[in-house]
Amino acid sequence: MKLDQEQIKKIALASLLLVALLYGYFEFLLGPLQTSEKAATNGIATVTPQITDAKKQINRTSQLEKQAPEAIALLSNLKDTIPDGEPIAWFPPKMTDFFKSHGIDKCTTHLVSEGTDPTPGLKRMVWSIDIPKVGFVPLGTAISSLENEEPLTTILNVTIDALREDAEYQHATLTISTLVKS
Amino acid sequence: MPLHVNLYHEVQRQELARRRDPLRLGMMGLGVIAVGFVAYYFVVLEQAHEVTTQYEALQDEFSKLDPKAKAAKTREDELNTEISASDTLVKSIDSRFYWAPVLDQVLKTVPRTVQLTHFSGSTPNSASTTVNTVEITGISSAIEPRKEAEALRTALNTRLGTQFDGVNAMFKTLDDSDEIVMLDGRRLATAAFNIEIKLQAKDPAAVAAAPAPARNPKLVAAQ
Repeated sequence: MKLDQEQIKKIALASLLLVALLYGYFEFLLGPLQTSEKAATNGIATVTPQITDAKKQINRTSQLEKQAPEAIALLSNLKDTIPDGEPIAWFPPKMTDFFKSHGIDKCTTHLVSEGTDPTPGLKRMVWSIDIPKVGFVPLGTAISSLENEEPLTTILNVTIDALREDAEYQHATLTISTLVKS
Repeated sequence: MPLHVNLYHEVQRQELARRRDPLRLGMMGLGVIAVGFVAYYFVVLEQAHEVTTQYEALQDEFSKLDPKAKAAKTREDELNTEISASDTLVKSIDSRFYWAPVLDQVLKTVPRTVQLTHFSGSTPNSASTTVNTVEITGISSAIEPRKEAEALRTALNTRLGTQFDGVNAMFKTLDDSDEIVMLDGRRLATAAFNIEIKLQAKDPAAVAAAPAPARNPKLVAAQ
């Protein structure tokens, strides 16, 4: 079958039209659609882990909220045991009263140094407590009570010297550090 | 046999040629392909719509969750700071060295033939070490005062060793003295000694270990 000139022209025209249509179809219809689908798929891939992370974060915080009150209450309770005001004003009288309650009438408390502490809102102060005359057993009892009743206080140094004039008594010096509000 | 003459062969040939027109066949083929393309377009359109809808739903969910997650993160940081502060404090309380048990053991160990003239105990300044030092100075009196001093050193080692770790009592000095003391009506020779004892609280690893999120500080019952 032979094509005449007119048919060849028509086929050529139809081919051009087909190419144009295919171009338009892929470029202006299918192309943007696939692009938007791809963008949405990528978006899903991005957002899904973010949602998972957000849910995990919310869940983690909620778990922490359940655990935290005990720790916060403990910290708060310990801080509440520290009197307000300048430590130099309340700590020496507190020690005098403490040792008096253990039968040690005379003691002198001096501030040695102060420094920072890792606990926020607190600082560490070092004091020297001089007890000029004390029996060994009352001193031991007082130290035991101090260590048990004052959790924020640490005894750094204990020095006990026998008194030459009275062998039954000793001269004691305690160096203690305590946490106070900063 | 009858003879048939087809007078329409021209018409039939033209009709056949019209039906076999490549242009017409091509157009029909193109039509079919176009229908396929349109159908495919709608399939893709539906898929894209589904994916886009899902993405929008997820975005909507994320936009609601994100502020909550950010607030949760801030709250978590606050809580962690407070828990960490509490833990640090509890750790610091738990890692205290208690001197009352040391004094108690020294009191129980020193015999009446020994008089202590000086006792000093100190905890290390540095957090890297947990070894505490005790220094005891005194006078032992016996027929063999050096043996008495040695007995005291050994007894201190043994007694303190039951309550503390790494106990090591050593003489820094042990000298015979010219002084003579009267004990139970007997004249006894004396020796001056100075003992240094190194000791640390039991199980320092447990003390140094990270504490649980929330717990109460332990208070060692000193005697």
